[in-house]
Amino acid sequence: MHHKLLDLILILPAAALLFSIFTDVLWMSYLQLAVSVLVFLTVGAIAVSFNSITVFLGGFFFVDYINLVILITVSTLELFVAFYSFGYVRSEIAGGVSKRKFKFYYFWKNLFIFSMMVSILSNNLGIYWTGLEATTLATALLVSFNRTKESFEATWKYVIMCSVGIAIGLFAIVILYFTTSQVYGESMRSLSFINIMQAGAKLDKNFLMLSFILALVGFGTKVGFAPMHNWLPDAHSQGPSPVSALLSGVLLNTALLGILRFYQINGAAGIYYPKYFLICFGFLTIFVSAFSIIKQTDYKRLFAFSSMENMGIIALGFGIGGIAVIGSLLQIFFHALNKGLLFLSSGNVLAATHERRIDKIRNLSKNFPITGIVLLFGAMGISGMPPFAMFLGEIYIMTGVFRNDIWLGFLVFILLILVFIGLFGKVLKMYVGKANASDEEEDGELKTGSTGASHKTVIEAGLHPFIVYVPLIMLLFSSFLLFYIPYPFLHIIKSAAAEFGGRLIFK
Amino acid sequence: MIMEKIAELFIILILVSVVLNVSSPFIKFAIKLYSFQSLMLAFYILMGAVHFNSINLYGSFAITIIFKVILIPYFLFKTLKKVKMDKEINMYIGIPEAVVFAGSLTLLSNLIAQKIIKTGITFGSFVFTISLATFLIGAMLMITRKTLFSQIIGFLTIDNAIFLAANSITHGMPLLVELGVLFDLFVSILILSLLILNLRRNVAS
Repeated sequence: MHHKLLDLILILPAAALLFSIFTDVLWMSYLQLAVSVLVFLTVGAIAVSFNSITVFLGGFFFVDYINLVILITVSTLELFVAFYSFGYVRSEIAGGVSKRKFKFYYFWKNLFIFSMMVSILSNNLGIYWTGLEATTLATALLVSFNRTKESFEATWKYVIMCSVGIAIGLFAIVILYFTTSQVYGESMRSLSFINIMQAGAKLDKNFLMLSFILALVGFGTKVGFAPMHNWLPDAHSQGPSPVSALLSGVLLNTALLGILRFYQINGAAGIYYPKYFLICFGFLTIFVSAFSIIKQTDYKRLFAFSSMENMGIIALGFGIGGIAVIGSLLQIFFHALNKGLLFLSSGNVLAATHERRIDKIRNLSKNFPITGIVLLFGAMGISGMPPFAMFLGEIYIMTGVFRNDIWLGFLVFILLILVFIGLFGKVLKMYVGKANASDEEEDGELKTGSTGASHKTVIEAGLHPFIVYVPLIMLLFSSFLLFYIPYPFLHIIKSAAAEFGGRLIFK
Repeated sequence: MIMEKIAELFIILILVSVVLNVSSPFIKFAIKLYSFQSLMLAFYILMGAVHFNSINLYGSFAITIIFKVILIPYFLFKTLKKVKMDKEINMYIGIPEAVVFAGSLTLLSNLIAQKIIKTGITFGSFVFTISLATFLIGAMLMITRKTLFSQIIGFLTIDNAIFLAANSITHGMPLLVELGVLFDLFVSILILSLLILNLRRNVAS
């Protein structure tokens, strides 16, 4: 494999970042398409020809099977989001948002993608940390893009909680550095992931364990694990929809990668009880998010809680080990795709109606024929129903959980059913529910006098075709993946799972 | 020997400045204290640099002075001037209770540090105790105070504690990593200041 190809993954987003400063927004949207397609093709070429761990750019960056899975996820979702943004920018500018504001949109989005790539590919844990904190900062101004009071408050919570969380993660890295510096001395090598893995059993076990717990709590804040999650629904629901899709789909996985790295290091040193921490946090996260989903009244928050639930399932899978790890790795990719399409299509509804509450949105089947269908089936897919790819990931994880402990399996299964009822029931109401009854009640109670506005039928014909059809294509792609997963991708998943000690039973 | 004593003095002054911070409701004073605290941290790093004669630590000293002692307090002062706020009024627990609480947190971190030493590794346990105490008191500041500025100060205190820990159990992180961390910290303070201004404007209008 060519090293230049690997350099290109970092160079392309950096180039897009530079272009976004100097270029007009509408030109930038074309350029962004080109860059995203190129990044996708580069990652595809790497994925096809990948056969062993490769170090590049002076040893500070590397690709192995695990970060390749996340890299594929990022580049695929980014491709769809770039196409969606193309239409999104045009419809928002037609709706009266200034061009200058969208210049910032592309600037911060590219900075976000760039720092995420740096973080994913870094071999050095210090650089990983820097990149992860940079993603928080780059997305901060995207979350407050609408400049409302709620969005500023959400951003505040997001930045302060994630910064403190990641600071605790830094503490974990400091302790790990102390441990490894007894083997390698105090240099950059002591932070290099590959070298740490090689040192393995020579490291002090108490301190490794301590560093894992600190990393789990610290980076876990950014993943959205249960006791530290309360920034997540606000931040993910306030940003523009393409940003929400990227935040939910890939940024959470980037933070999870940090925890997985510490998990791997503990595994290499022969410490096996970190897995109970992952199971515990995963289960708690599913539990909390399942009950939050049921009482949710805002649809973007609903999907944000669903991301939390899926991160819980993924963490649970990694904790259980074996076949569940394969499920978790598949879930990382499929969840990004499915959550992306949900956020993007709900963004269409939001853009046309300017209404966030579930009980105010009714009759999507008539007003938004395509977006409505995508939302409905997307909600089915995200809760793991068969015609969509997430079924595959979830079935692997559930098989692993049931094999491990049947009672835990039952509990998780009941929680997943709760999630399905909450999500699908609410979206179904939005899709077929009749608008009249609730509207009349509202008018009777409030006497706002704006009856004309609420009865106006909003149709999606006014929206740019890209933002209507991109989620649909993602939905079809997600359904297609259930029946046919390309062989190179399956190979990467299998090899990545092997690094956690997972095995594939058939095929 | 004498150098160690001087280094310990700097460390004690860090803890004193954090406890002073807990006991005072004035925000301007808190920012000054933070600057002072960072200066003490920088001097501690300088002592290490002279003692071990390490270029890494000299660099660390320089960037700590630039970012933590000068740039961050300067921007915080600038924001404070625009916001026109002088006193923290919203606190969940009163100042006397908070000071008692800070004292007990210091004791607690001493116990924790002793326990870690018992597992067999000995390092600058005194410094580690202080850094743990600073960490916990910083977290307490964030939890008990509602004003946005106090939360920033709490966050910065936590950050200083981690830097202190990095310099106590090791001789500081590699310079490149430290530079990245400080730069991120600086940008996050800029963004938080921007958010304070915007939130203020939204409340006013």
